[in-house]
Amino acid sequence: MAAHLPYEYIYLRYKKKFPHVWCPGCGIGIVMGSIIRAVDTMNWDMNDILLVSGIGCTSRMPVYLDFNTLHTTHGRALAFGTGAKLANPALKVIAVMGDGDALAIGGNHLIHSARRNIEITTIIVNNNNYGMTGGQFSPTTPPGTFTATTPYGMMEPGFDICSLAQGAGAVYVARGTVYHVMELDKLIAGALEKPGFSVVEVLAPCPTNFGRANRLGDAVKMMESLRDGTITQVQAEKLPPEERVGKTVRGVFLDREDSEGYTARYARLCEQAAGGVSGK
Amino acid sequence: MSDKPEAGRNAKQEKAQFPEPETTSVHIFPEWCKGCGICVAFCPKQVLEMGKDQKAHVAHPEKCIRCYLCARRCPDFAVSVYGHTRKAEEKRNEGTDGEK
Ligand SMILES: Cc1ncc(C[n+]2csc(CCOP(=O)(O)OP(=O)(O)O)c2C)c(N)n1
Ligand code: SF4
Ligand code: SF4
Ligand code: SF4
Repeated sequence: MAAHLPYEYIYLRYKKKFPHVWCPGCGIGIVMGSIIRAVDTMNWDMNDILLVSGIGCTSRMPVYLDFNTLHTTHGRALAFGTGAKLANPALKVIAVMGDGDALAIGGNHLIHSARRNIEITTIIVNNNNYGMTGGQFSPTTPPGTFTATTPYGMMEPGFDICSLAQGAGAVYVARGTVYHVMELDKLIAGALEKPGFSVVEVLAPCPTNFGRANRLGDAVKMMESLRDGTITQVQAEKLPPEERVGKTVRGVFLDREDSEGYTARYARLCEQAAGGVSGK
Repeated sequence: MSDKPEAGRNAKQEKAQFPEPETTSVHIFPEWCKGCGICVAFCPKQVLEMGKDQKAHVAHPEKCIRCYLCARRCPDFAVSVYGHTRKAEEKRNEGTDGEK
C-alpha cells in the first residue's frame, strides 16, 4: 500500500488514521500537504517538531501528522505552544488553527503572541466560517455572506488577518491559497525559517458549510474562485484600482529582521539574573 | 547536528522501506480518494478522469508531464507522482545531510 502513496505519507500516521475525517474537497488536507513539504525542505528531525492546535476541523491536523503533537482546547493553541516553547526552546513549534480558533476565541492569544514575538510558526486556515460546528459565522466571514447564524447575510465587517498580525508585531506575515499550492509551500517554508512569530493565512474552501450556504458550488468551483479571486502583489500594483476591487492579494506582506525572539530574550535575561546584574 | 539523530521515527528511515516503483508516473490510491474532482479539473494535460465509482482514474498516463500539481492539490493524499525529487533529498545526495 505504502508504495502507492505520495512521498508526504512518511510524515503521516498513515497506518492508523487514514483516510482522514475531512470532507471531500476540503482545503485543510491541501494545507497539511504544504506544511509537510515545507518541513521536508527544512531537513528537520521529526522529533524536534511540535505541532500544536486548538479545536475545529483545521485543529484535527495533529491527529494525522507524526510529529510531537498537542491537540488542545478551542482557541488555545498559542497558549499551549508558548508554554512548550519556553520549557524547551529547542523545539520547532508550529501552530495550526482555523479562523474561529485563531481570531474569535483565540484572538487575544494571537495578538499577544505577536507582540511578544514568541518563536512559533502560525498557520491559520481561513475558510470563512466555523466548519466543525455546522458553519456559523466567524470574524473572517465576508459581509453579506450567508452562514448558519447569518440568515440575512453577515452584517459585520471581517478581520484582515494579515494586517492584524502585522499591527500586533509579527515578524513574518504572508497569505496564500490552496489553489496556488506551489506558492503556498514556499510561503510556509519562509515562515518556518523565521526565528520569531510568523503568520501564514491560507484561504481554503469549506464546501460543506460555507460553500453550500452561499451556493458557491463544489470544491472544484471553490478552487476556481480562489484562482480567479486572488492576485499577487505584483499584479496588484499593476492593476487599476477599479479592477482590484473584490480581489484578495497573496504574497509575503512583512519579513522583518529587527526584532529578537522571545525565548532568545528570555535566555539573556536568565543569564543576567544568574550573574546578579539587576539590569537597572 | 541533532542531538538525538536515531531517536524515534525519522522520515528518512521510513522512506527507505518503500522504494518507489518506476513503471507508471502517476497513481491514484482509491482507498483514500473521496472523489472531489480537484485533481481531474486542474491537470494541465487531462491525464485524469472521474470514474463511475466516484474515484479519480489515470486515463492517459502517457500524457503526464509529472508537474506534480494533482498530488499537491489532492486534499486526501491519494495521488502519487513518481520521478519527482525532493529538495531535502537533493541536499542529502549532495552530502550536506549532517548539518541541520
Ligand atoms: C470553549 C469552546 N467553545 C466552543 C466550542 C465549540 N466549537 C468547536 S469548533 C468551533 C469553531 C471551529 O471553527 P474554526 O476555528 O474556524 O475552525 P474550522 O472548523 O472552520 O476549521 C467551536 C465554536 C468549543 N469546542 N470549545
Ligand atoms: S466542515 Fe468544512 S472545514 Fe470542516 S472538514 Fe468539512 S469542508 Fe472541511
Ligand atoms: S503530474 Fe501533472 S500532468 Fe501528470 S497527472 Fe498530475 S497534474 Fe496531470
Ligand atoms: S483530488 Fe484526491 S480525493 Fe479528489 S478526486 Fe483526485 S484523488 Fe480523489
